[in-house]
Amino acid sequence: MKKASRILSPLLMLAMVFALAACGGDAAPPPSGGAAEQPPATTAQDPQADGIEEGASLVYWSMWSEAEPQAIVLAAAARAFTEATGVPITVNFNGRQGQREGLAPALSAGEAIDLFDEDIDRVTGQWAEHLLVLDDLINGVFSDTDGQPFRRLVNNGLMNMAQERGGGRFTVVPYQPFIFTTMFNKDLFEEAGITSAPTNWNEFLEACERLMDIGITPMTVDNAYIPALFGYTLTRIVGVDRTLEIFANTELSDPGVLRTAEVLEELITRGFMSQRAATNVFPEGQAAEFAMETVAMYLNGSWLPNELREINPDINWGSFAWPSIDAGGAGTEAHNIGAQSFGINRNTSYPNAAFAFIRWITLGHWDQRLADDTWGVPMANDAVWPPQLADAQAIFAATTNPFPWAAGAEDDPNITAAIIEGFQRMVAGTINAQQFADSLAALS
Amino acid sequence: MVGRKNKRMIVLFLIPAIFIYVMVFIYPVFRTFIMSFFAVEAIEQPFYQWTFAGLDNYIGLFGIDLFNRSVTNYLTLWFVGGIAVLFLGMVYAVILTSGVRLKRFWRAVIYLPNVISAIALGTMWINYVFRDIDGLFDRAVNLMGGQTPVMWTGPYMGLWSLLIAYCFGMVGYIMLTFISGIEKISDEYYESASIEGANIFHKFFFITLPLIRGVVRSNIVIWTVSLGTGVFAWSFMFSPNNLTLPFTMPPNYMREIIFGGRGSAVIQRDSGSAAAVGILMALLVVVISVAASLITRRDDVEM
Repeated sequence: MKKASRILSPLLMLAMVFALAACGGDAAPPPSGGAAEQPPATTAQDPQADGIEEGASLVYWSMWSEAEPQAIVLAAAARAFTEATGVPITVNFNGRQGQREGLAPALSAGEAIDLFDEDIDRVTGQWAEHLLVLDDLINGVFSDTDGQPFRRLVNNGLMNMAQERGGGRFTVVPYQPFIFTTMFNKDLFEEAGITSAPTNWNEFLEACERLMDIGITPMTVDNAYIPALFGYTLTRIVGVDRTLEIFANTELSDPGVLRTAEVLEELITRGFMSQRAATNVFPEGQAAEFAMETVAMYLNGSWLPNELREINPDINWGSFAWPSIDAGGAGTEAHNIGAQSFGINRNTSYPNAAFAFIRWITLGHWDQRLADDTWGVPMANDAVWPPQLADAQAIFAATTNPFPWAAGAEDDPNITAAIIEGFQRMVAGTINAQQFADSLAALS
Repeated sequence: MVGRKNKRMIVLFLIPAIFIYVMVFIYPVFRTFIMSFFAVEAIEQPFYQWTFAGLDNYIGLFGIDLFNRSVTNYLTLWFVGGIAVLFLGMVYAVILTSGVRLKRFWRAVIYLPNVISAIALGTMWINYVFRDIDGLFDRAVNLMGGQTPVMWTGPYMGLWSLLIAYCFGMVGYIMLTFISGIEKISDEYYESASIEGANIFHKFFFITLPLIRGVVRSNIVIWTVSLGTGVFAWSFMFSPNNLTLPFTMPPNYMREIIFGGRGSAVIQRDSGSAAAVGILMALLVVVISVAASLITRRDDVEM
């Protein structure tokens, strides 16, 4: 037995060294730094004139996690709001999963929640029955709106979207808007001699060639964003409306699906797509490739600079519209635009106080602060976009054909999983575009 | 004899516990069972909004590729992972009860992954072990002259990578259970066997294994039950935003159709089918556990 232990002990030691080595590596980045308390510079409210209810207090359930930059700003804003108006706010930062799983049952159970937020589609879709209609408030004039209706002071495109999602009525107020577009590294483009962002597919392929010449992988993607890449590309081939139809009705034998697979296959076979895209688990592609500046482009949201700021704050950010591909497809006027959005519980006793807090966040000082501290898109028309999103601002303004998340490619988990699987197999080189398209057509 | 007064006190003290048990366990199970026969969109919908659907939820599930794949993934993980975990757990237990030096140290180290959260472990595996090209496994493959990248988290290797990572976290627990069983075996058996000339393998197969048959049975049940819930977080880690074919397990599919997608916000919710998934999973766990008990029950030995 002793002999056995002499042999087995070093073997165990070896196994443990192996295990410890597996634990090594870079430490996770710390959470984003936050917003120090400051008094609001431009926003002033008059609680009495604005009709804030006597003795009002608010409970706000937020989708953010406490350590996120957005949550830090919102918490500071809530404290400042209480100081300015005397309305106490209890903020529960539930995180995205907590909010998605817990809010609706809590509202249905009659829990006292005055205000909540999440993605505009989720709030106006899944939680619609709990929403207070805000038409009067949104068209109202308040002490902090310079004599104008609130609606005129904030992003018109998003307000139109909010009205459309509410079936012609306002039930939410968007904030923290985003645009999903091609985010790129300007320094790498410059190094490759690319002087202007591609405006069509040929220019895009040419830019990829130039990047390859200097040893840079043009594009990458994580398993989280493969459906968005597929959906976006399909819009550039068959148009936005047809793309939405294809996914909604599972018409995946449409020739446009094969064409999309072929376009993506070309990116793969010419080496324009990172080989790691076959295995990238979110956020590996953005964190280990794009942020490390070994990859130049990522079709992603305007939130990407904020997500990567701790890993590499020095990226010289640029954006360009995912180029048009075929004549019948959508062009650079079509993007997925969205936002988080505030909804007010229809059972609240303090609608005016809740709306005062929404104005507090979406106008003036705190809107700007939220944009500055999160490198995000502001909501007010007079706010300044962060420099990282200067290009995205122009794309946002030029978007006349907004479409929903991933152009509908993620609306059915069965289709979403098949797109991810097929794309990754193409990147791995084990199937071709025809086989990918056939696997999707089989779902029809 | 317990007096009438004492009986009243016992009942009084039991009421809160029974009430909580009924409310947080019996009632949800009952509601889920009933819900699985109804068309229900949102989990919080009141009963009067439910529409009777008979077995449609159950039948419909088996027409969905992603659900079928999730069941296949789960059964693969249960069977292959189960064999691996039980085998490794038993090997470690035998080694650590064989008089090896630093026994307590090794035991603690092997058990360590059990006290680390699945999220932290998953991050380690995905970012440092399975990473393409410069990850630990790819480097090891390179050293051995193999071809890289292996694409550990891709469509072909994904499930096996998840299996390796999940089993790594479970071996310690299974090992401890085996150790507790082995340590109950009297040294006299081994001493007698040694005198008769038995080697380490004879001792294992003719003494240890028969005498820990009950522990094997317990470990199969522990593995089955823990997999049913524990694999959810692991699947989530390997595919954090969307369900993907190699990593989806039934609980993850269930969550997706209850609360909607993590990316898109417009996925059609179907809490009735989700309840059917829950019932099927529960049945699967019960059937496997009963089968394991029946297979390993024969010839239990009194120690």
